[in-house]
Amino acid sequence: MITIPYLTAVSTYFSYGLLFAFGQLRDYSRLLFDWWRTNNLQGYAPICLAHEDFYIRRLYHRIQDCFGRPISSAPDAWVDVVERVSNDNNKTLKRTTKTSRCLNLGSYNYLGFGSFDEYCTPRVIESLKKFSASTCSSRVDAGTTSVHAELEECVAKYVGQPAAIVCGMGYATNSAIIPVLIGKGGLIISDSLNHTSIVNGARGSGATIRVFQHNTPSHLEKVLKEQIAEGQPRTHRPWKKIIVVVEGIYSMEGEICHLPEIVSICKKYKAYVYLDEAHSIGAIGKTGRGVCELLGVDTADIDIMMGTFTKSFGSCGGYIAGSKDLIQYLKHHCPAHLYATSISTPSAQQIISAIQVILGEDGSNRGAQKLARIRENSNFFRAELQKMGFEVLGDNDSPVMPIMLYNPAKIPAFSRECLRENLAVVVVGFPATPLLLARARICISASHSREDLIKALQVISKAGDLTGIKYFPAAPKKQDEEKNGIKLD
Amino acid sequence: MYVRALPTTDVNRNTEWFTYPGVWTTYILILFFSWLLVLSVFHCSPGIAWTIVHLAHFTVTYHSFHWKKGTPFGDDQGVYNRLTWWEQIDNGKQLTRNRKFLTVVPVVLYLIASHTTDYQHPMLFLNTLAVFVMVVAKFPHMHKVRIFGINGDQ
Repeated sequence: MITIPYLTAVSTYFSYGLLFAFGQLRDYSRLLFDWWRTNNLQGYAPICLAHEDFYIRRLYHRIQDCFGRPISSAPDAWVDVVERVSNDNNKTLKRTTKTSRCLNLGSYNYLGFGSFDEYCTPRVIESLKKFSASTCSSRVDAGTTSVHAELEECVAKYVGQPAAIVCGMGYATNSAIIPVLIGKGGLIISDSLNHTSIVNGARGSGATIRVFQHNTPSHLEKVLKEQIAEGQPRTHRPWKKIIVVVEGIYSMEGEICHLPEIVSICKKYKAYVYLDEAHSIGAIGKTGRGVCELLGVDTADIDIMMGTFTKSFGSCGGYIAGSKDLIQYLKHHCPAHLYATSISTPSAQQIISAIQVILGEDGSNRGAQKLARIRENSNFFRAELQKMGFEVLGDNDSPVMPIMLYNPAKIPAFSRECLRENLAVVVVGFPATPLLLARARICISASHSREDLIKALQVISKAGDLTGIKYFPAAPKKQDEEKNGIKLD
Repeated sequence: MYVRALPTTDVNRNTEWFTYPGVWTTYILILFFSWLLVLSVFHCSPGIAWTIVHLAHFTVTYHSFHWKKGTPFGDDQGVYNRLTWWEQIDNGKQLTRNRKFLTVVPVVLYLIASHTTDYQHPMLFLNTLAVFVMVVAKFPHMHKVRIFGINGDQ
């Protein structure tokens, strides 16, 4: 539920209208200009349709320096951001040799495994020396090592399902698995704010897709009832299969899914539940087992659990966990398993070691400390931001917190101002978010110390004042000082 | 003065912005401010200004709603490439609140423009032609219709 000041909504529409109008004017003048110049590509078809490219050319390129910033160090709590210069108004950017050391609020480094770890990294280096960087084969040919088998067992045990299958790429896990699970004649009901990988997988499957209002179990029930009553389009035969796809933590909102209600509705109407825990596995829950542990849902009720290793485990790849029959079927039919190169062995070792640290099997309690620290950090940061008057989305305990910007001009302003003060944040606009709702997305890590967070709050407050994004009134300052003796703002 | 923005179920990013609060007000305010702008730039009578606004509105909205097809970004893999914006909004459902509002605005503009010019020619003729084309283009029966193949696909 996003609360927008009415004036901001009106001014945001107006700004976008102005930007589109100027973009069109520039396109027309480019058309006129090119009329006079000879084109040596007569007879060739254009590489991309002019109208499809409009947003990228006329809006995205103008603020391109805020996106895709290269880094030159590990994505730890502090990161080296490479500086770039542009001679043609951001159409092309050239890297310089200068870097600036910035506080990293953009990486999905939830548990701090993104840089050197005293337990994981030596084991990864050993595995690199023993197995080399790539398996150079798909899983079914020669790409399954003992580490891969151990990884799949480890993941299945960690997540709480009988078996698991691991893919080399998180995005490909969704887009390659969903077409295998369901086809024409089936129905996919997905949350309206699901990730693009799910949308691509669903579109590629050929099944009918229906969308329900974000995180609203009552609307899901309404859609399910309607669709089951109507049946397949045109023939009205009953659906072959119904899969409901939801995410654990929504990456653009930071909200946690209302899983117990959704699972009970799906059980009532006999639909399968597909849970994408990309951002929630390893980050929430008492032992880091994700949204099921946090909300007390029995993992046996979820038919397909999917997750990625890029966020909390500091590696790459994704997994699907489910019943033994399901995983056996996937191993025989999923193209990501049969044809794609298997996950590189050192990365697999990183995941196994990270899981061992989280569960405390390495003999220390660093895992429990990390989980406690990320929860503390997230709650502290969110509370302080809300006190300052920012509009922050997301539930408590979620390490993802978007700060609403709304106006398109505030996107580059906020981003550049933060970079000037050595704070690296990720800003997101249309079309990854709805047109009106541009935001700056903060990802908190367990490796951020309290001083780091306080510095970040000061910088964000200053940038927020400059860009005018404190849409809510700030909480009145308390008379007594903070516990650590530092007053904020 | 806050409004709540409920997340929509529209997957088409090109049209879902029209379902959020504040769009109608912005539209009307843009028309009003452009009338003031025309008045101050051209030093004409209010009636001529309204006629200019009406005709400019006709050109801009016809081009963007009923001529340009597809979406300005490539993420949706071109599923909407044969549909104009008018055919895309509300997922193709006809006679929704948004469509009724967008049909009423050119008519109201026409009435204002004709009234303030005292129904004189040639403004009346041009205004009537514009509103006729606008309203006919928005009929439910004209959904996905391409007369004489104008603006059809190759």
